Amino acid sequence: MSDLLELLVSATASGCVYGLVALAYLLVLRPTGVVNFASGEWAMMGAFAAYVLAGMLEVPTVVAIPGAVLVLAVIGWATEWFTVRPLVERGAGHLAPILALLGMLVIYHQATLLVFGGENYPLDGPFGFNRVELGPFAGTSQSFFIIVMTAVIFVAVWLFFERTVWGKSFEAVAINRRAAALMGINLRLVTALSFAGGAAVAAMAGLLDGPRGSVEVNAALPFAVQGFSALIIGGINRVEGAILGGIILAFAEDLTRRYVPIPSGLALGVTPVLLIAFLLVRPTGLLRAKEAG
Amino acid sequence: MVALMRWVGGAAVLCVIPFLLQPYELDLYRKLLFWVALAISYNFLFGISGQMALSHFAFAGIGAYAVVILMTQAGLPLGLAVVVALALAAALALIVALAATRLEGFYLALATLAFAQLLIVVLNEGGSLTGATGGLTNYRLPPIFGFVIGGPGTAIIMIAVLLATLAILLRIDRSWFGRACRAIRDNSEAAAAMGIDVARTKTIAFTTTSVMAAAAGMVYAFFDNTVNPPVFGIDNAIMLLFMVIVGGSGSHLGAIIGAVLLKLSQDFLEPIVGHYHALGFGVIVVVAILIQPKGLIGMWDQIRARRVAARKRAAS
Repeated sequence: MSDLLELLVSATASGCVYGLVALAYLLVLRPTGVVNFASGEWAMMGAFAAYVLAGMLEVPTVVAIPGAVLVLAVIGWATEWFTVRPLVERGAGHLAPILALLGMLVIYHQATLLVFGGENYPLDGPFGFNRVELGPFAGTSQSFFIIVMTAVIFVAVWLFFERTVWGKSFEAVAINRRAAALMGINLRLVTALSFAGGAAVAAMAGLLDGPRGSVEVNAALPFAVQGFSALIIGGINRVEGAILGGIILAFAEDLTRRYVPIPSGLALGVTPVLLIAFLLVRPTGLLRAKEAG
Repeated sequence: MVALMRWVGGAAVLCVIPFLLQPYELDLYRKLLFWVALAISYNFLFGISGQMALSHFAFAGIGAYAVVILMTQAGLPLGLAVVVALALAAALALIVALAATRLEGFYLALATLAFAQLLIVVLNEGGSLTGATGGLTNYRLPPIFGFVIGGPGTAIIMIAVLLATLAILLRIDRSWFGRACRAIRDNSEAAAAMGIDVARTKTIAFTTTSVMAAAAGMVYAFFDNTVNPPVFGIDNAIMLLFMVIVGGSGSHLGAIIGAVLLKLSQDFLEPIVGHYHALGFGVIVVVAILIQPKGLIGMWDQIRARRVAARKRAAS
């Protein structure tokens, strides 16, 4: 039983990381309709930015985490400015930005690989690796830190979209770009901020996950795949869907690995199977878009 | 008649080359032909039908593994193994297509990516059937009609598959079916309104091109007499996509040029500049999409159109 409870904590933490990557996809996807496969690279680069700040420059963690997030936000902004904006303004097809971002994925990946090589780098969490017990639940302090930070981010993003005029303007762009522009919403600014926000959230996922294993370039593809799988499972229309999908995906994976007697390699099939099942049976995800009005 | 002569001449030139090459160059040549064959069929799927599927390499892998497993473990003769493997690939492609072609745009990419990933998991965990992570080795191509097929021989079989792929797709492209595919790519609702069965057309295009990928994969299995999972993974699927984009998606010649350029630059630049060449790929792809979405072929057309316009202006 205590074994199960411990698994629940670590699975929830994994689910939070997946949920954050899913949120990074969602923030870009909603207003622009672009699925950004480079989100996984952003998460990986966020972990590297945190490693450079905390591990190499020995900046205190309270500064290193926002610092790394800021670096990625700038990268996200620049990405939008360089690759997506020219395509949107030229009226290129809806696949063109997706393909351009695939090219950017390769650039990010290879550039990071050139600088850091294929090695694994350690990243310390702010509270070390001691075990924490909260009533019946037990886990590493990093797991609890991930869960708390993710909760804060999701509540903040949810409040932004639901309770502020700014957030409503993003929603308006997501519903109808043309109408939103006619209402005086600055499309360029909304799009640029979406990319910056997406990169910042992805960076959080990467730098929160780093201390649980190590920081490495190869982590990017798993981040990207788990992130969009979580997004499809939860539904692409609602912020809550991202975290719901992330948690479901992580539980399916961890419970399969722990309790189903199959080789661990075969457990890697859980994510693609779940993704295919959702795409076929319920492509809108678990949470549907809210009714208008 | 002239067209036929051209095909025969082209085939003759391609078939003479392998006999002039050193073993290492021959290996590069064969793999280049493999990539070109895949790029041609992928161009029809992505560039002409507008389906951004990432399962093309997975189907090449299915063809390669199926023919080897049927030959060595089921003990089928080569000819029968090829037919059964093609039928198997067609059946799988049809199942994936029936499910996946209902999905639009990036949903299709995600579904086919998941399928490709699932295949890699199955290949890695297939035990003695698929040889797990090490793949399958210790088999060889049996004599065909009494001829023992060597290195240049496998290159010639690859050329046959490549030319057959190109000839069939050129024929289809010029038929009503090819025009239906392009119509769906440009505007599926308008195409449906014109009486085109969108789902059926997409499914046929997906299945046909996937079987062509499987056929190319089968020949590939006998290049080095080994198959292993990483070759058929996501990295190569994305590389194939880039080849078609850089060359000019929707154009057969563009796909060929893209595949040759990117594959050769990989083969020749990687030993010299290492990872920088992969970084260069990314830059080239982004620049191509930003500057000329129709790729190199589009640039060529642009230059030619400008020349014609200049000549007209000079004449008048």
